Amino acid sequence: MGTVIAPLVSIVAGAVLGVTTLMGVISSQTGAPSQSPANAEAPTLEYGTVSE
Amino acid sequence: MPGVTRATDVRRTPLVAALPAVWTFLFSVVLLGPALGWGYVLTYDMVWVPQLDLRADTLGLGSALPRAVPSDAVVAVLDEVVPAVLLQKVVLLGSLLAAGTGAAALVAERSTAARLVAATVAVWNPFVVERLLIGHWPLLVGYAVLPWLVVSLRRGRREDRLPLVLPLLLVLGSLSASAGLATAVATLACGADRDRPRRTLALLALVLAANAPWLVAGLVQSGGGTSDPVGATLFATGDEGLLPAPWAALSLGGIWNAELVPVSRTGWAGVATTVLVVVAAAVALVRVGRGRARVDGLGGLVVCWGVGFGLALVSWAAPDTLGRLAATVPGGGLVRDGSRLLGLTVPLVVVLVAVSVDALLARLPDLAGRVMVGGVLALVPVSLMPDALWGVGGRLAAVAYPASYDEARTAVASAPAGDAVSLPFVSYRAPEWNNGGRRVLDPLGRYLDRPVVVNDELVVSGTRIAGEDPRAARVSEALAAGSPGERAAELHAVGVSVVVVEEIEGYPVPAVSGTTTLDGDLTVVELGPAEPRSASAVRRGAVGAAWAGWLALAAAPFVAAVRRRRSGSSATSGMDRQK
Repeated sequence: MGTVIAPLVSIVAGAVLGVTTLMGVISSQTGAPSQSPANAEAPTLEYGTVSE
Repeated sequence: MPGVTRATDVRRTPLVAALPAVWTFLFSVVLLGPALGWGYVLTYDMVWVPQLDLRADTLGLGSALPRAVPSDAVVAVLDEVVPAVLLQKVVLLGSLLAAGTGAAALVAERSTAARLVAATVAVWNPFVVERLLIGHWPLLVGYAVLPWLVVSLRRGRREDRLPLVLPLLLVLGSLSASAGLATAVATLACGADRDRPRRTLALLALVLAANAPWLVAGLVQSGGGTSDPVGATLFATGDEGLLPAPWAALSLGGIWNAELVPVSRTGWAGVATTVLVVVAAAVALVRVGRGRARVDGLGGLVVCWGVGFGLALVSWAAPDTLGRLAATVPGGGLVRDGSRLLGLTVPLVVVLVAVSVDALLARLPDLAGRVMVGGVLALVPVSLMPDALWGVGGRLAAVAYPASYDEARTAVASAPAGDAVSLPFVSYRAPEWNNGGRRVLDPLGRYLDRPVVVNDELVVSGTRIAGEDPRAARVSEALAAGSPGERAAELHAVGVSVVVVEEIEGYPVPAVSGTTTLDGDLTVVELGPAEPRSASAVRRGAVGAAWAGWLALAAAPFVAAVRRRRSGSSATSGMDRQK
């Protein structure tokens, strides 16, 4: 029983980490830019920009 | 209860016991990355300078709201012993290390894997990353103190006495108003006892003493302590990409400033993080409800979570209500940044996540499987927010001040008596030498050797949030006068004897008559001796008393430890004599 479960567990664990890493990397590369384009022309000395 | 263990029951080898500390250290270093390089991390509200002086405004006796009290005074004293450039690294790295190891200590009775997951969640989360980027370091120190506060209060309750380390934790956890508020909530939620009113009163007194410097300085402040209500709308908990604000807050994000949200949070990774946190919490609560797991002091943790999340939710759902509070109640502006107290939710989150991790691991038949799955789970928070790596992709890199800052400090030091003004009269700077234009609160406010009147008006998304400092308003009026001579005279009348000017494109500075003593990247113009603005005797007395209480609290653990040691050694020598 243990010999069957061990490889299964390792496959599932690897897959989970793979999927979450892929998700994180893709999100960080393709997500919306941190500065809204609508405010790109705003003066540089503002404190920040709220999400639209 | 079957299957339930207490922290004191767990016996571990030293290596296994130290694993969460080593793990947290590694992740903290990887997260901070270039922030640990030589120089200063200058980002938004985080301004560290080579030499911060202990003066009236750092003690809370200036005309502005005491936003950096007592943190600035503590730094001003400590940087006499440890160079500020090192002190900042110690504070940043120490905060993350304490947060991670504290989370592991909070679940000390659980498996090593669960402790490692708890440590990772406490360090690698949107709250930590976003507050690092906005520079709220006293809040992060308070955040790091929270789990240790809960642990020590739990122990104190079992031993039926207040923990010796409690005063020190309260002082460290109350380095700013927001941090102090969070620390106060956690202390009272986890330590107060209806059946022991004396203990509750003692806790209340300790909390008040720890927060006294900013609390008293704010109460006796000349501006009234109220804030512009529009700030509550702008600082409300914000959406993060696919996540509406309440969901963002559930997974410890939701800062108002969209520029500081890690990009990974705006995509499906942010959604996955939220789903995982909610599922883990639900599984754990079911297990606790069915009696299969026990969480020591769950009620207090739930109260902390409720306050932290509730405030974030209210600021999103009813910012106008918080705005009215800020505009009418002195100090009400403290809660206008809705997600600022989200750190209060973390102790419950890490405890519930640890319970669900153990529940999952218990289903695995062998040790190898548990180690592998535990390791994977401990890495999941990192894999879902990989852009936090290495100082959030270099955004936290340390920088060196240009030589012109030292030159300006020297020139201002030889100026006649009076305060300084930094021009252009706007709160923030974005100098090219700071990571290619990273925004930072005007460093001259702390860099110079004397109080600097700074503009506390903020601009967010093109909307102005009025400042609270009446003296800053008078400086604005003086700068609007018709001629350089009139401007100099009016500034002089406000107690300003020297002006430092930086040329920034798009921000023209009105000319001020005076003697130019430095003409470089920063220009220093002396206006002549001005009458120093000192606080009234009543105000000085009140703030002095607050500091006396704070100092007594900070010294209490050391005094108690020395007393205990002395009484121990005298008891030992007494025993020796009896032999």
